[in-house]
Amino acid sequence: MPALDASAALTQEVEIDLFQGPFDLLLTLLLRDEVDMLELPLADLIEESVTPGTDERWEIDAASQLILLLAAIADLKGRRMLGDDVEDEPDVDALAMRDALIARLVAYAPFQRAAQWLADRLRAAEGPRYRRVPPGTAAPVPVKDDPARLRAAMDKMVEAPPAPSLDHMGVRRRPLPELLGRLRESIARLREVSFDQMVADCDRLEEALTLLAALELVRRGEAELRQDAPFGDIIITGTRA
Amino acid sequence: MTELARTIEALLFIAPEPLEVTTIQDITGEPPSEIARALELIGQRHGDDTGLELAEVAGGWALRTRADLAPACDKLRSRPREDRLSPAALETLAVVAYLEPVTRREIGRLRGVDVDSTVSSLLDRGLIEEADKPQSGPTTYRTTTLFLERFGLARRGDLPTLERFELTGPEAQALRARLQQADLIAEAETGDG
Repeated sequence: MPALDASAALTQEVEIDLFQGPFDLLLTLLLRDEVDMLELPLADLIEESVTPGTDERWEIDAASQLILLLAAIADLKGRRMLGDDVEDEPDVDALAMRDALIARLVAYAPFQRAAQWLADRLRAAEGPRYRRVPPGTAAPVPVKDDPARLRAAMDKMVEAPPAPSLDHMGVRRRPLPELLGRLRESIARLREVSFDQMVADCDRLEEALTLLAALELVRRGEAELRQDAPFGDIIITGTRA
Repeated sequence: MTELARTIEALLFIAPEPLEVTTIQDITGEPPSEIARALELIGQRHGDDTGLELAEVAGGWALRTRADLAPACDKLRSRPREDRLSPAALETLAVVAYLEPVTRREIGRLRGVDVDSTVSSLLDRGLIEEADKPQSGPTTYRTTTLFLERFGLARRGDLPTLERFELTGPEAQALRARLQQADLIAEAETGDG
């Protein structure tokens, strides 16, 4: 719609079968019954009025006014067609609502203009920059204290922490093949050895590994195990003569 | 420059926000008339050809940079977030500025729409804040010092009177006429019937 302001909506030229000319003239003629409402091609009129001609944007006031008028005309034509010509009472609710709306718009208008004033003001005040620092704190009070104590306190803070102990990582353990060799040797020499004796000077892990070595010998058919009582000593006997 | 003017200039230099005259009074112990004269001297000293200007803003006095130096200043310090305020935000701000302290309900009643999100965004931007809470009742809002600074207002209420913005008789009439236009058609119909 090429209207640029509210009044432009009314002066807009419309061209329909019945009528050619400005919109407001058509309106006047309709109101004076010089154009028959029943003859009015309403759909054509609406299409003619509200179809945006080019890429021009709708101006909201003009557009809303135009739509309001078109709706009123449509309503009017509808009532004429139904023969609803009973003189109806003015709708009190509608009138009251309209008055309330007007009152509200009149009351709010100053704020809209004040907003415009603020917008201008904002543009005008855009340039200057202000200091932005956090709220200051009072100047630090000099410390009255012995520098030596300060140094001692400081030393404590900069002292390197003790290095973590890596002792547990360096423990050398006898690997399984070595234990296997040792066991094999003992059996070859004594034919029969006591497990308890073998591990007499070992820690728990070596004890476990020694048991593993003994089981390995059994698996290879090189030895047999014998345990007389549960949790008792295990006798390892070589099978090779 | 008098000794007092020098002192006040120093205070303005280190003040984190516009310096109120009462604060200057407390520090210097001088009467307001002397302070006003000293401020005038400081203002003269920072003339058009200098980088700073003395301005009365947000309820106090501040040395601020001149508007034309903004581009350079913004290179040192990134420009304050200045996204454009929407018409709704500006109108809500106007309502708060004129009616403060004001509740959300009152703003909403005037605006005729829900204002929660607009109020929240103004709060986020630091342009309005919660006013001192009354003993009971809903929270009220007022504009902030930042609002006064951003809009270059000397103090709260440094606004044109609201009457100045009221619709004139003919304007109100035109508004009324526009709304009545549809009714007029209907009334003409009733008359004919």
